[in-house]
Amino acid sequence: MDTQAFIRERFAEFYEEKAEDIEAPHSIEKREFGFLTFRESVMIRHKGFTKLGDLVSFVRQVTPAHAYYSTAYYEMPEEKMEEKGWLGADLYFDIDADHIPTNCRKIHDTWACKNKDCGFEGRGIAPETCPMCSGKSFEERTWPCEVCLESAKLETVKLVDILTEEFGFSLTEVNLSFSGHRGYHVHVRNEAIRQLNSVARKEIVDYVTGVGLDPAFHGLEGSGTSRPRIVAGPRLNDAGWGGRIARGTREFFSAATSEDLQSLGLRRRAVDEILGNKDLILRSWEKSGPWGIVGGLGADGWKAIVQRSVESQSVKIDTVVTTDIHRLIRLPGSLHGKTGLLKVSFSPADAEEFDPLKNAVAFEKGEAAVYVDQAPEFRLGEERFGPFKKQKVQLPLAAALFLLCKGAAEVVD
Amino acid sequence: MVLTKNDQAKYPFLLDAAEEVKRLDLRIESLENPELKPIIDRAQDRIEEALRNNPPEVSYRPHEEGTEIPSFPVAVMLAAASANSYIKRRYALAEAIRAYGLLRAEDGEKIMEIAGLFKWRIRPLRQKVGDRYYDFALFFGDFLRNAGSFREKEWKLVNKPMLEGEVCLTHGEASRLLQEEIRRHIESKLDMDVRSMLSDSMLERIENLKREFARQIGRVGFEGFPERVVDVAYPPCVTHLYDAAKAGLHLSHVGRFTLTSFLLHIGMKPAQVVDLFRSSADFNERMTRYQVEHIAGDRGSRTKYKPPTCETLKTHGLCPGPDQLCRRIRHPLSYYSRKTRMLKREVPAS
Repeated sequence: MDTQAFIRERFAEFYEEKAEDIEAPHSIEKREFGFLTFRESVMIRHKGFTKLGDLVSFVRQVTPAHAYYSTAYYEMPEEKMEEKGWLGADLYFDIDADHIPTNCRKIHDTWACKNKDCGFEGRGIAPETCPMCSGKSFEERTWPCEVCLESAKLETVKLVDILTEEFGFSLTEVNLSFSGHRGYHVHVRNEAIRQLNSVARKEIVDYVTGVGLDPAFHGLEGSGTSRPRIVAGPRLNDAGWGGRIARGTREFFSAATSEDLQSLGLRRRAVDEILGNKDLILRSWEKSGPWGIVGGLGADGWKAIVQRSVESQSVKIDTVVTTDIHRLIRLPGSLHGKTGLLKVSFSPADAEEFDPLKNAVAFEKGEAAVYVDQAPEFRLGEERFGPFKKQKVQLPLAAALFLLCKGAAEVVD
Repeated sequence: MVLTKNDQAKYPFLLDAAEEVKRLDLRIESLENPELKPIIDRAQDRIEEALRNNPPEVSYRPHEEGTEIPSFPVAVMLAAASANSYIKRRYALAEAIRAYGLLRAEDGEKIMEIAGLFKWRIRPLRQKVGDRYYDFALFFGDFLRNAGSFREKEWKLVNKPMLEGEVCLTHGEASRLLQEEIRRHIESKLDMDVRSMLSDSMLERIENLKREFARQIGRVGFEGFPERVVDVAYPPCVTHLYDAAKAGLHLSHVGRFTLTSFLLHIGMKPAQVVDLFRSSADFNERMTRYQVEHIAGDRGSRTKYKPPTCETLKTHGLCPGPDQLCRRIRHPLSYYSRKTRMLKREVPAS
């Protein structure tokens, strides 16, 4: 049987039973919907629905591989882009493991040169040019592994902190969801920010990612010109980035190893001072912090440490998603065509217990036999599968679909 | 809020302009109405000051409420009737700068009142945060609506103390943000078509102004680009993207958009831009042509898209780091226009 047709049939069965679980976006009648079907990879765009029931019937009718809705609200969502009448948009963030460099990517991500005569393969992130044929185009296969997903979740939690503590959103206005593949979406629905244009949203992105941050505006104060020193810096409870820099710096000092410090280009004497006085440095935060009291540490060294703490406190997001005020976002409760997993939303309060590889499993019954070309070890629910290489296996339907959707396996009769 | 006569003269934009204009009935032949002449003279004067002063600023004339208050809505009508975007932008800015100067001298309560008329969510703070003393806390959305386009580092949200959705501001900063709010407010009033409502003599006044300041008015926007594309004048970000595209490397969506819109703007033909992407492994002629023509404004919404600003390129990680000239501009097209002029000066035409 044709693999595509097999996936589509399973998706159709799923939607027959569960399409009602699709979450209607707020003000559904003002949203634009888009769908990618299995047959032709063309987007059905500019769809509008006045109620959830119509959306559900449509999904059942077309069985999409991917279903999306607009972050924006429009007067007439079915019109052409320039005639829709933009009314505002929710604030959205996309955190994808693709933007986070994890060590395990070297193990589970693979790439293959697209040059038909070459086909050279490797692991990790694809190089700029193929070492065999100097080709520049690659087929990349990334995996939603536990470690990657966990690091994406950590970023998500960090973002929620910034959104609630600094931006003042309440937890009820912030909704999280697992994308169904390698990341998380953070959705903020608040009337007061709906009208913000993309210039203003860009500033929010820069805040979250720390772009354009100058520590001098947060109390980092230097003196002297021939041998510049740092004489003061932010405190732990300062508002906004000041407090973040202080907390990041405290964390850095308490965990820093000799290698960490040397990698920042600190001199031997400064490294010894820091490692030998960890307690003293930690206690200094009760007063005005360790700024300027560490021997041998000049302005450049301090700046490198502050830079490191900014990196650790900032959140790695896909910047384009947040600034785009016409973006289409995957519909919660729909299936992701690249994994067969669900996009599921959850409240920030449940972030800790949320297990994407369990909570997003859509197919709970059935089995299928597949021929796996290549797949690293993976987990779904409580069960572990693989690694597989060029073999036929009988798997629970969810695991089989996962491999089929990823393009790592084919159906066997 | 009850506005005193003095307040109205200082901040005439807070009044309902339409109401004021109706009261004056401008269709009456102005020169024959001695009562109206000083008002119309002052209105014209406001626009002249905006065009002449550098930085643009309309003067404040205390104790002349009789002309100061009604001349503002008349000046707004004159500026709108000019149908010239330079005059409109400059006039709105000049009135806003005038207001800024006056706001600086007001107490906190007055600032709060005026901010309240613009629906700002602001409250007095009067406390130290870190080492600085702040007067107000303002909802970040109101802050961004106005400061979003400021280029100075200290106006970036990431460099502001922020807590629970509020940005801490000094009195001076709040006044500066109000200036921007006022500028946008006045500018939004200048888009109406008022020519049919004005008498011939009024229209003549504005035409005279346009003639008088013709040289200044003509010298706006990006100055003309040379006819031929000068690739050595590309800013670093574009050079980077251009080289990557030529080498067939993968470009992000924003990267492709930036490169395409930039090249089209400086006069490259769509077909040449399409060729540039030919070495890309997943090149699809039909699709690329469609996208390039869309950005060129030959299709779809018919908008000719401009490349993003330096700020935006930084946000999306497309700025490879500024060079000397970058520090003096904020848009890749300005870089190109300056650089081509510099090159022209260096190498005399043969």
